[in-house]
Amino acid sequence: MKFKTSQLIVTTLLLCPALVLAHGVSNADQEILNNGGLFSYIYVGAKHMLTGYDHLLFLTGVIFYLNGFKDIITFISIFTIGHCITLIGATYLGVKADEHLIDAVIALSVFYKGFENLGGFKKLQIKSPNLLFMVFIFGLIHGFGLSTRLQSFDVGTNQFLAKIISFNIGVELGQIIALIPIVIIITQWKKRKSFEAFYKSANTYLIIAGIGLFIYQLYNYFGTP
Amino acid sequence: MKNKVIPLLCFFLLCSHDMYVKMDTFFLEPNKKSVIDLYNGTFEKSENNIDRNRMLDASLLGNGTRYSISDDQWTEKDSITKLHFTTGSAGTWVAGVSTKPRNIEMDADAFNKYLKHDGVLDMLEYRRSNNLLKEDAVEKYSKHVKAIFQVGDKKTNDWSTALGYPIEFIPKSNPYEVNTGDTLQVQLIKDDKPLANQLVYADYKPAKDGHTHTNQEHTHNNENHSHDKASHFHDGKTHSHDDSTNANNEEHMHTSGQTLRTDDKGIVTLKLTADGIWYLRTINLVTTEEAGLTHESNWATLTFEVRHSHDDNDHAHTDKHEQADEMPSYFYWIGSILLIIILFFWFNHKK
Repeated sequence: MKFKTSQLIVTTLLLCPALVLAHGVSNADQEILNNGGLFSYIYVGAKHMLTGYDHLLFLTGVIFYLNGFKDIITFISIFTIGHCITLIGATYLGVKADEHLIDAVIALSVFYKGFENLGGFKKLQIKSPNLLFMVFIFGLIHGFGLSTRLQSFDVGTNQFLAKIISFNIGVELGQIIALIPIVIIITQWKKRKSFEAFYKSANTYLIIAGIGLFIYQLYNYFGTP
Repeated sequence: MKNKVIPLLCFFLLCSHDMYVKMDTFFLEPNKKSVIDLYNGTFEKSENNIDRNRMLDASLLGNGTRYSISDDQWTEKDSITKLHFTTGSAGTWVAGVSTKPRNIEMDADAFNKYLKHDGVLDMLEYRRSNNLLKEDAVEKYSKHVKAIFQVGDKKTNDWSTALGYPIEFIPKSNPYEVNTGDTLQVQLIKDDKPLANQLVYADYKPAKDGHTHTNQEHTHNNENHSHDKASHFHDGKTHSHDDSTNANNEEHMHTSGQTLRTDDKGIVTLKLTADGIWYLRTINLVTTEEAGLTHESNWATLTFEVRHSHDDNDHAHTDKHEQADEMPSYFYWIGSILLIIILFFWFNHKK
């Protein structure tokens, strides 16, 4: 064997949307927010990011593409700036979209990253867009999705901005917690011969997951006739 | 100074605070911790808390037993007064709150506007026809609100028990034995007698993924479920009656939804056109000879939840949605792991 089975399983679990049982708003979360003050918003924000597989799948795709810790910090920071802008701005201004539609666009971002990582643009002989710019744009879109989710809670009017910022802080904490093992596994695996197969399988999975999530969100949006 | 204060005061008095007993869902599990919200404002937004010493009665009624709610069961959050309690055994339960009367002075203009905005149209017409529109008012008011909720599956008859409030709504059948598309008769009782010819307003907050029944046709509008009262929700609007410190100039009506009038037996027939949390409200305002007063009002609301029937095959698609919502996480667990492992072996072998 050219790889460790345990390594594959851990990675698979990290990539697996199955960890994300509660992407939507639950009564339990609402109850936590009702009774827990600003810390509850941090908790729910972190929980949402940790269980929000679409955000993590996209970031995983970005990390796959990068070489070096400095690049990872740069791109994650740009993504973070993007989603902070729309998360705070849209929530504060009360701007929102249908959650299924925005999640469908986020699903496309997952597809996009897998497609780009596997040289999709090259094969089509199209120049791929500037990744830093795209990560910023997708950061804005993901932030809008997070904002839509936050707005589906009954947030109340007291300490409104503080609650949004607390939720945002939670999102960042959740993102850091999720990214640490993902970065470690990907960077460590790069040293192994099986990385090429891992790279292809993971990014092929991103394409499939992106398409699957896109269809799933549209199905939920249009409903059953 | 006085010139500035009086218009401001009138402002405060321009609109009223309705009171509602609300819950996220009116379907609860037996013997579980739950929360009931007491809203004072609109159905969508509570403007201020209710002090415990203002409550003349706060009760839960289930399985034939009435439980008095103690002060330490209440908390406050974001202008919402919250009742923390543990549901009892299965049954159809009632929660009720009745407040002590308070007096309020209004100049004629403010009083007329309040009557119009809150749909107390009979009194407005009385004032108009008797040339009293320029008469100031001193009104004694009190609020008496109820919710009927279902714990577990077992249906009990507590919904039909009067809590003995000065005014209250009592359904003529169990709201949890009717479904969307049905009608529900509700009787309005004042001082233990049916109150005839009283205006009652009924409206609802639609359920997510709920159903609408219009003229017997069944429609499904997913989460963006719509109906003919989109302008009803009042988030962000402020208005005041008693304690609130918020007021503004906006025209504000509390009379959306179905406008009903009680018959000789004090009964209104409500069309339950959609899944959601339904509420009825009324303000019974009469003149009084009581010293220092011109009017007395008793306010009543009743809240309950309505769901569609699952017996009808036409409604089966909601179940599909529920399945669709539940399936993916389970599906992803197995599917994603298998997929990545298969892909890994495939690419590794190919190499």
